[in-house]
Amino acid sequence: MAYTCDNQTMKGAVEGSRGQQILRETEIRDGALERKHNRDTRIGQALLGLGLFLLWELGSGTLVDQFFVSKPSKIMESVWGMLIKEDLLYHMQFTVTEALAGYLIGASAGLLSGFLLARIDLVYRIVQPFIIGFYGIPRIALAPLFILWFGIGISSKIAVAAVMTFFIVLINTIAGIRSVPVQLLQVTKVMGASEWDLNWKVIFPSATPFIIAGLQIAVPQAMIGAIVGEFISSNRGVGHLINKASGWLDTPGLFAGIFALMIVVLLMNYGVTVIGNRLMRWNPKYGNMREPV
Amino acid sequence: MPAGKPVIEAKDVFRAFIARADHGKRYPILALQDANLAIEKGEFVSFVGPSGCGKSTLLNMVAGIFQPTAGEILYKGKPVTAINTDVGYMTQDDNLLPWRTLRDNVEVALEFQGMPAAQRHERAAEYIAKVGLCGFENHYPHELSGGMRKRCALVRTLIYEPDIILMDEPFGPLDAQTRVILQDELLKLWDGTGKTIVFVTHDLVEAIALSDRIVLFSRAPGRIKQIYKVPLSRPRDVFHIHAEPEFPAFFDQLWRDLKEEITEVELRAK
Ligand SMILES: Nc1ncnc2c1ncn2[C@@H]1O[C@H](COP(=O)(O)OP(=O)(O)OP(=O)(O)O)[C@@H](O)[C@H]1O
Ligand SMILES: [Mg+2]
Repeated sequence: MAYTCDNQTMKGAVEGSRGQQILRETEIRDGALERKHNRDTRIGQALLGLGLFLLWELGSGTLVDQFFVSKPSKIMESVWGMLIKEDLLYHMQFTVTEALAGYLIGASAGLLSGFLLARIDLVYRIVQPFIIGFYGIPRIALAPLFILWFGIGISSKIAVAAVMTFFIVLINTIAGIRSVPVQLLQVTKVMGASEWDLNWKVIFPSATPFIIAGLQIAVPQAMIGAIVGEFISSNRGVGHLINKASGWLDTPGLFAGIFALMIVVLLMNYGVTVIGNRLMRWNPKYGNMREPV
Repeated sequence: MPAGKPVIEAKDVFRAFIARADHGKRYPILALQDANLAIEKGEFVSFVGPSGCGKSTLLNMVAGIFQPTAGEILYKGKPVTAINTDVGYMTQDDNLLPWRTLRDNVEVALEFQGMPAAQRHERAAEYIAKVGLCGFENHYPHELSGGMRKRCALVRTLIYEPDIILMDEPFGPLDAQTRVILQDELLKLWDGTGKTIVFVTHDLVEAIALSDRIVLFSRAPGRIKQIYKVPLSRPRDVFHIHAEPEFPAFFDQLWRDLKEEITEVELRAK
């Protein structure tokens, strides 16, 4: 006898019954709850942001000397001024390229080496103290060295951003791989999983919470790498602008640069979050799953 | 029971593990000793015995997850020295992949074996329907009930039609009704396939209802104490197994032999 699923009758209640009515009501309530959920989040974020700006705007010049903290209206003016005359966008394009390229290089290298290292126990045990050792040196201190090696162009900044990213992603990837329940590896091996299957279909998904956390922590680190590189020596980039503003004691200009960077980091982080939520949609603790109605 | 060369053989099998004492001191313990057993093709064999007597250990060695410390496990006459992908293993925990939906979990082994997607969807749909999981294909494991998860784990193992199916207390944590229904489903799915099933359980009624033979293990460190042939004919009616005339005497004998092992464990504990 052949079995198939009749998709009409699935989990349904009898047509026209009380049960079906309840199902329909539940669906509607769920949709409404989701919209409310999203709206409340947005409103909350807008209010908190606005509150912080107001506090800053009103507190500056009354609670704290405006010279040191500037104020949002001045900063916006400055952002606007920089946008039109100082080519803020022109400078941002370099900084974003450096941070993004460094991030992508560092993250892929970190992921790849994580898999190569953690999957072979002996290799892992050999390299583990070395990784921690390299991670332990303040990587920012490598920036001058990299400028010596790669010149004052964007490649030295990419290198600094990549190193900042690499170790965080590497260490998190290794931790994630080592957290995979051994029984999952055993049963899938018995089912005939190849090494490739194990890596892609068992280990990677199981390790994603760790990997995504690493990728998120690494975003601002990559930006720090790029900016510090620019501080040390450059004639372009937001780091260069901030440096110049500080030389002129131009606090609003300084904050304008910082503000621009924050926006970029938020956008990058949003990208990682979207990818993470997509990869972890199975996990009730992440992303787009809500409490049931 | 078809006669012939056994598919699974255990020859003088011993298995030791390293355990840790309170202060981190390591010491070896014996999980299984001197096991000798031959299982024929197409047989349904159950293992019963006190907790910790090495039943799961023996299954793991048949699956090739690890090897005996002494002696050997033969599969079709050859020693098992690596993961044995001819077996299907339904482990004591269901071990579904939490990031895969029910359908994707059911299909996973076919995917590993490289079956084209269209074909595997078709096969999965049939098996999902067979165990009454229609409508839950896109649910993640945490969105299923305990019984549904067990059904999912069951068809995930049966779907690729392995020659040998190892089942470690597959229906253990279920309520009594679901249990009997699943036992019935299992027998129907198995009937006529010629597959060999090795089934671990603590439920003597379950062992009698399902098996051709029952292997009784002694208390830990376990050894095989006795092997019984179940005196019931097939097909079996699991819902009314108690009503079979041979049932009461056989159950009593099995229970008496098992009780000796359990009470001795308890006496030792005091
Ligand atoms: N990986 C391991 N490391 C150390 N000891 C182990 C390991 N696996 C099993 N053991 C030990 O071996 C013995 C037998 O375990 P096993 O899991 O085979 O028992 P079991 O008969 O399946 O018991 P249960 O009915 O409770 O599932 C136990 O004492 C257990 O502690
Ligand atoms: Mg067990």
